Amino acid sequence: MVQKLRDHMWAYIFILVPVLLFLVFTLYPIISAFMMSFQRYHVLNPEWIGFDNYKTMFADSVFYKSLWNTFLFTVCTVPVNIAITFMLAYFIFQLRTKWQTFFKAVMYLPAVASGVTISLVWFAMFDPTKDGMINSFLGFFGMEPVMWLSQTSTALFSLMLMTYLGSHGAGIILYLAAMGGIPKSLYEAADIDHASGWAKFSKITWPLLKPTTLYLLVTGVIISFQVFISVYMMTQGGPDFATTTIAYLIYQTAFMFYEFGLASAQSFVLTAIIVVVSIIQFKMFSTDVEY
Amino acid sequence: MARVVFKNVEKEFVDGNKETFIAVKESNFTIEDKEFVVFVGPSGCGKTTSLRMIAGLEKQTRGDIMIGDRVVNKLHPKDRDIAMVFQDYALYPHMTIRENLSFGLKNLKQPKDVIAKKVKDASEVLGLDHLLDRKPKELSGGQRQRVAVGRAIVRDPQVFLFDEPLSNLDAKLRVQMRVELAELHKRLEATIVYVTHDQIEAMTLGQRIVVMNKGQIQQVASPTDLYQKPENMFVAGFIGSPPMNFIDVTYENGKVMMEGAQFVLPEHSVQALRAYEGKKLVLGIRPEHLFGEDITMGVPDTYSLTSTVQVVEQLGSENLVYFRVGERMITAKLHPDSDARVGQLKKFLLDMSKVHFFDVKTEKRTSI
Repeated sequence: MVQKLRDHMWAYIFILVPVLLFLVFTLYPIISAFMMSFQRYHVLNPEWIGFDNYKTMFADSVFYKSLWNTFLFTVCTVPVNIAITFMLAYFIFQLRTKWQTFFKAVMYLPAVASGVTISLVWFAMFDPTKDGMINSFLGFFGMEPVMWLSQTSTALFSLMLMTYLGSHGAGIILYLAAMGGIPKSLYEAADIDHASGWAKFSKITWPLLKPTTLYLLVTGVIISFQVFISVYMMTQGGPDFATTTIAYLIYQTAFMFYEFGLASAQSFVLTAIIVVVSIIQFKMFSTDVEY
Repeated sequence: MARVVFKNVEKEFVDGNKETFIAVKESNFTIEDKEFVVFVGPSGCGKTTSLRMIAGLEKQTRGDIMIGDRVVNKLHPKDRDIAMVFQDYALYPHMTIRENLSFGLKNLKQPKDVIAKKVKDASEVLGLDHLLDRKPKELSGGQRQRVAVGRAIVRDPQVFLFDEPLSNLDAKLRVQMRVELAELHKRLEATIVYVTHDQIEAMTLGQRIVVMNKGQIQQVASPTDLYQKPENMFVAGFIGSPPMNFIDVTYENGKVMMEGAQFVLPEHSVQALRAYEGKKLVLGIRPEHLFGEDITMGVPDTYSLTSTVQVVEQLGSENLVYFRVGERMITAKLHPDSDARVGQLKKFLLDMSKVHFFDVKTEKRTSI
């Protein structure tokens, strides 16, 4: 045993560093937050209150509103964004290599910029006066200026629009890599097999891209459930909670109302929802996926 | 079934530096109806490009290709009535074997019962009937290869095209599949065009063989003719394993002279080499036409040369003995009981009735 330990000593030392980092910065905070969700938190004197935070949370209409907003945001952005990403990747894939590289770089650029910067740019674009970029565009068609971020009917949609037009770079790179991985001979065999363009797409390309689509779906849903920066920067959850998402609510509860226990409870409910939804997605889509 | 004709077909590719590379030059041949023709040659010789031009997956730069009575130059692959077995099999990985086999027929919108019958027939012929509901990744290499053949059979095409279909199989399975393909050709009575770089595959499968090198057809002939009457040094060296030996000689007054030996040629050879008086030639002799003086197999010792044995490879059925004549390493395929050993000064006998002479410049075989 000692000899074995000695043989592998360096391996254990190398592993120890990331394990320690994981224990200190990931596992401990998770356990601590979980404990906190059963406490009325105070730095010096936390009080154990059982399920009170959970009861408070489930009795709060804003919590349900934020859940609904998050759900709506996810449902309206993830599938649409995957479709947009796929179409862009499909068209880029038809181009010559140098143009592919150019468009990959261009499309990935927003991912390099910080979310705060992007939000500020969009904030300017959503300027509610007639001089705002989007409103002036609509003005060409004789439409009245819209108060994009200040009215309940358009605020959440405005945040969705941001994702439709800006967050496809990483997905495009993944799709392009997956498309490049499909052997050319499959399409040649399909050509000889009398397959039409649509048949080649629906029977070969799309099924063979399913692993990538599933990955983008799962990660997209997880990211979407945690949408925060755009809400924080542009609407602060308003107007009238129209854009309050669950992540923003957690932030508000913790850092504006200093209810850390309640915020922890909300976080664990969000975690549970993400885990359940991810499992459902894998169960539903992974059976016929070819790895 | 149908015949395939190449008339002055050429194929050029333009590389990244915009330089033109000729992959197939002035190609002319006819593959007869129901014939099994094998294209063979080293990598990059243009054999696969030729096959892909028949399939319509590459368009020829010049010339005409005919399948049956039709010029197919401008026809899409699906309209050429051909089926192709790819080197990597190109099976659709997400479909079952049944779906793979029926994919082409479904695209042709054939009735379901017809599709089911054709799939059943093909799978029975190829022994795939118990694998129909599996996916390609669940099959062995040999089974996948059969599925690829099955996908071609169900279409009942005029011409079957095979692009190095056995190259991904291990040696034992390759031999087995070779026999199966030969049987399949007999059963289907199909026109088959088969590409390989393996000359044993070519010799065993082909009724005729097209030998290619650097985009040019070197010779089109039956396996026996290729072996016994190679038109040039490339064919002589490419066909046969171990390859034919070449020895630099000079011809003078009815004699050939080489390092360490000289022979008086028989009268018919003298007549044929009259034009080469005083000139250099290359003498070609296959390893099995060289004998050790201990086991001559009835060959007279009129024509012999002596050299030191460099290497002996004992293969069980024969011994491969290597020795030098001038700069060239020569291989003799000797009887397994031969006493040849490394370092031994050994006398080798040449069966002069099997010797070829090649022109040094053109590398073409002289008329004897």
